Amino acid sequence: MAYVATRGGERAIKQSERLFRAAMGKIDAARVTEVKQALPYLVDRVMGEASLYDLDLAALALAQTGGELYEAVLLLRAWRTTQPRLCVAEPVQQQDLFTHRRISAAFKDIPGGQVLGPTPDYAHRILATDVLEGTPFVPEPVEPGAKPSPAYQPSVSAWQAKNDLVDLPKPESLHGNDIPDLTREPLLFPSKRAHTLQSLARAETGGVLALGYAAMRGYGQAHPTVNELRLAEAEVVVKHPNGTAFSAGRVKISQAEVVSKQGEKLGLGFAATMGWNEVKCISAATLDLNSKGAPKGTPTEEEFFLYHTEGVESSGFCIHFKLPHYVTFQSSLDAMRDAKAKSVDVAKEPVK
Amino acid sequence: MSLKSLTKPWQSMSYGFLDPSAKRELRRKMLKSVAVPGCQMPYASREVPMARGWGTGALQVSLTLLNPQMCVKVIDQGADDSVNAASIRRFLARVSGAPTTLDTLEAHLIQSRHRIPEEFLREDQILVLQVPNPEPLRSVQPNMSIARQMHADADYGRMWLQLYEQIVRSGRIMQGASYPSMVNGRHVMTPSPIPRWDVPKLNMSKHLTILSAGREKRIFAVPPYTRVEPLVFDDVPYQVEDHGALTCKRSGAKGFFMNEIPQDDGTSAFEVSDSEYGVKSIRQRDGEAVNLGGTWYKHGEMPK
Repeated sequence: MAYVATRGGERAIKQSERLFRAAMGKIDAARVTEVKQALPYLVDRVMGEASLYDLDLAALALAQTGGELYEAVLLLRAWRTTQPRLCVAEPVQQQDLFTHRRISAAFKDIPGGQVLGPTPDYAHRILATDVLEGTPFVPEPVEPGAKPSPAYQPSVSAWQAKNDLVDLPKPESLHGNDIPDLTREPLLFPSKRAHTLQSLARAETGGVLALGYAAMRGYGQAHPTVNELRLAEAEVVVKHPNGTAFSAGRVKISQAEVVSKQGEKLGLGFAATMGWNEVKCISAATLDLNSKGAPKGTPTEEEFFLYHTEGVESSGFCIHFKLPHYVTFQSSLDAMRDAKAKSVDVAKEPVK
Repeated sequence: MSLKSLTKPWQSMSYGFLDPSAKRELRRKMLKSVAVPGCQMPYASREVPMARGWGTGALQVSLTLLNPQMCVKVIDQGADDSVNAASIRRFLARVSGAPTTLDTLEAHLIQSRHRIPEEFLREDQILVLQVPNPEPLRSVQPNMSIARQMHADADYGRMWLQLYEQIVRSGRIMQGASYPSMVNGRHVMTPSPIPRWDVPKLNMSKHLTILSAGREKRIFAVPPYTRVEPLVFDDVPYQVEDHGALTCKRSGAKGFFMNEIPQDDGTSAFEVSDSEYGVKSIRQRDGEAVNLGGTWYKHGEMPK
């Protein structure tokens, strides 16, 4: 009965999970609230990658996984996929975004104005070590401007299109349930536009940055100019069965338009995601900009970057290498040993 | 009639975890894959509460097929007690109410990572194989859309060339597990990383085999009584692992696929890879009445 004695599997699994959870201790609603309030950008990032906009669930996933981001996103995705799709909201138009931050690197000033909004871009990155010495860090109060910036602005590319500098993509004529949904159908290539943008929206931030950065450094043809970067809130407008359209609430979104000279016109790259995540949007838009005509097998080719920036898939496959592989390994060993024995046999034969 | 009488009480989870729309898609794709043996069918592949690459494709198939009347067995690299097999078995039982078993003969559905049990499978059994990489052409063409076109054209020249080059360089075909195989004379498939030992078990077998890759979102099948032929040259016969003469040091079972266990003295000992077959062999040796099924291999050889 020697085999039976080795059957510790079930117990070992349970105890190893307990060890993992012991580090986080008790999780209650207060902890979730604390995560939500203290780490809004992390919550945003996780919501974007999970393609599920729910601050409480995202904060809970972070608390439950102790901040293991890939695990947190997987938790949310696995929850999300079992939920029914109740309806499809109206498309969000750029000029209807309630904008907090909106900048353009292409022009000094733009119609609607540059709005700096919240950013650490110009902060000196000095660690507030005083906090550890017992002096709390209290942010200085924001002083509102004399004249508030307009909350709604046109897109920069709209002005460029008017001046024949850029060809805007034709608006999709699909509505509601006809819009391809990546979470309900497989990604195939050449990819549908909706699938491409959805993939980028839920791509893993670090992965998009790595490949986007490769394109920026020169493994892509187009050097991006940030035409417009926005952090905003979008109304989720849905239709009541009686026909009335109403806003079910607002979600934070970020989006980036990048351009580069392509002949006599500007090429346009675009990406948007839920939550505020500037690095991801600029990188994703850069990949989008570079993807047209990119050679197969290069980092800027659609199939290459969409497959390899899928965080749940890539992280899952990476950690699966921890699983036993002794059958496959044994099979390779057998072929290697046999080939080696054969080569020794050949060497033994005298040279004629 | 009240609304309440027409609806079911709210539950936090659908039966079998997956929602009905996901199961419907899987059923359709399984039927398609049975209709065109060995051809990879793309499917949405929902996230499940397990990491990608850990059997999520096979898990979705099992979750769709299981019902409380079916008995389920889960193996990983031949073993029922491997931690991931134990975890999947626990999850399947928890969400489907299906009873579990370790005995191949008792199971109606077997989810397996990289092994086919040594005992014969019957017509009333379904084997669901976990597949890390569904594309046999990946090593000669990493781009999935080009590879898809090559399958459509039955353009397997590069595959043959790769096997030929191995013979030229090493004196034999070096492919370990996942040996590329022609299904029904039309589609080349990867049998998943099962050892070469197991590939002949798929040929004209009585049971249905469904292969599902969750991360790569592809499903394919070998229906019962379908030809599965490893790609070989007429003058270079197919070679399974040289395990036919090995003996399991625990059970004494001889002529099956083995795990090699390195020993302190520099030698190797061997244990039957199909762990439950090993357990049953031990019990039989110890005088227990055990139902040991017929095996594909006899005396370490696959009968022609």
